[in-house]
Amino acid sequence: MIEVVNVNKLFGDNHVLKDISTSFEPGKVSMIIGRSGSGKTVLLKCIIGLLIPDSGEIYFDKREFTKSNIKFKTQIRQELGMVFQGGALFTSSTVEENVRFPLDLFTNWSKSEKQKRVDFCLERVGIKNANKLYPTEISGGMQKRVAIARAIVLNPKYLCCDEPNSGLDPQTAILIDRLISKITKEYNITTIVNTHDMNSVMEIADSINFIFQGNNWWQGTKDDIFNTDNKELNDFVFASELCKKIKKETT
Amino acid sequence: MVIIANIGKYFFLMIQVFSRPVNKKIFFKRFLQEIEQIGLNSIWIVAIVSIFMGAVLTLQVAINFENPLIPRYLIGLSARDTMILEFSSTIICLILAGKVGSNIASEIGTMKITEQIDALEIMGVNPANYLILPKILAALFTFPFLNLMSIILGIVGGLLIAVFTDVVSVFNYIYGLRYLFVPFYVTYSLIKICFFAVIITSISSFYGYYTEGGALEVGKSSTKAVVYSIIMILLFNLILTQLLLT
Repeated sequence: MIEVVNVNKLFGDNHVLKDISTSFEPGKVSMIIGRSGSGKTVLLKCIIGLLIPDSGEIYFDKREFTKSNIKFKTQIRQELGMVFQGGALFTSSTVEENVRFPLDLFTNWSKSEKQKRVDFCLERVGIKNANKLYPTEISGGMQKRVAIARAIVLNPKYLCCDEPNSGLDPQTAILIDRLISKITKEYNITTIVNTHDMNSVMEIADSINFIFQGNNWWQGTKDDIFNTDNKELNDFVFASELCKKIKKETT
Repeated sequence: MVIIANIGKYFFLMIQVFSRPVNKKIFFKRFLQEIEQIGLNSIWIVAIVSIFMGAVLTLQVAINFENPLIPRYLIGLSARDTMILEFSSTIICLILAGKVGSNIASEIGTMKITEQIDALEIMGVNPANYLILPKILAALFTFPFLNLMSIILGIVGGLLIAVFTDVVSVFNYIYGLRYLFVPFYVTYSLIKICFFAVIITSISSFYGYYTEGGALEVGKSSTKAVVYSIIMILLFNLILTQLLLT
């Protein structure tokens, strides 16, 4: 479980995160949603330690992360998988080398054991016959899959995804969403997904945090969304005519 | 204020760079890759520039030594000393600042803006150490060889002029090469190039590492890396010459 307690983050005079408190449970896909510039990426970066909050604490299974030393942070990070918006694959390495990289760094496994694990993870995300290709030689959807394979190769306890289906066509986006959801349930991972794609939310969200102007404005499940009278959330979720129509039919 | 802040950031980065690698095997693999990238891939440019500059230098000195009172063998001597003292260390490093420096800054800068450096950090790797230390060590290892190669090829370039033209005889040229040879000049040249190797790789890495934005900023970082590397090379050239030769 990941717990965020009273986290504040400022950039100069800009108070980006305002006293945010929430928790993310294992085996569930927790989604952080909000408009562009609302602070959701900053929150995710604080959780994974790329940014240090000005105040507040973040706990990984009751272990305080933000104020811990670099050795402890490194230990927690080895339990953490991250899927970046653009994939962040190493362009000078092949697909296989990208996935194997964490194994090379942190395990003493033999070459064949590593290969077996890499093949398993790539197969798990549906990548076939692309082991020797470079990231620039594969499609955006495949890059995201490889990024997921790399994130799960060390059997992480926590998985963070920053807009995992941005720039993908709706069909591929749903495949990626379902893959994240399936992996989360299968390995009981604490998964946090940062998105503003409502299709993703409706598809896989188990719990939702709506960030508005740096505040944790609303918290609930995807079913609660249809019944809430929170104006800001309704404005965000039902911005399109299609969503408005769906809400009308549902309620 | 910006300069002071940048100097502080540079030294803070260097503290991160000179730490213990997470995995020695991977570090050694990276070191070998960088030797190829930084050292071996620079051989051709160093070789071409050195041969031509050695040849031109010999021609120019020969043309300017028209006074019959000046012995012709001094052409060989001046070509040798110019190559050792200044050309093969300082000028070659100014060229390498352009080639290697811009390459390093754009490589690390692109990794930064595409979140590859963040990805390394999330994996529990010290990105500064993983990316920059192999580059600095590879440059420290290969630049002295490039320096020696440049000296030799520059002298060979001059020799070719002696062989194929009549501005100086081969005998005089070779006699001049051996005349009043000071072995410390080679040591001085090697010391200088080691400093320049660290300057080029660390400054270029610094500008790449702190790139923010997009492709345009990568280009700007690359330019800054080259400009500041050149300025620091010239400054350290002066300081080291003052310290070692006077």
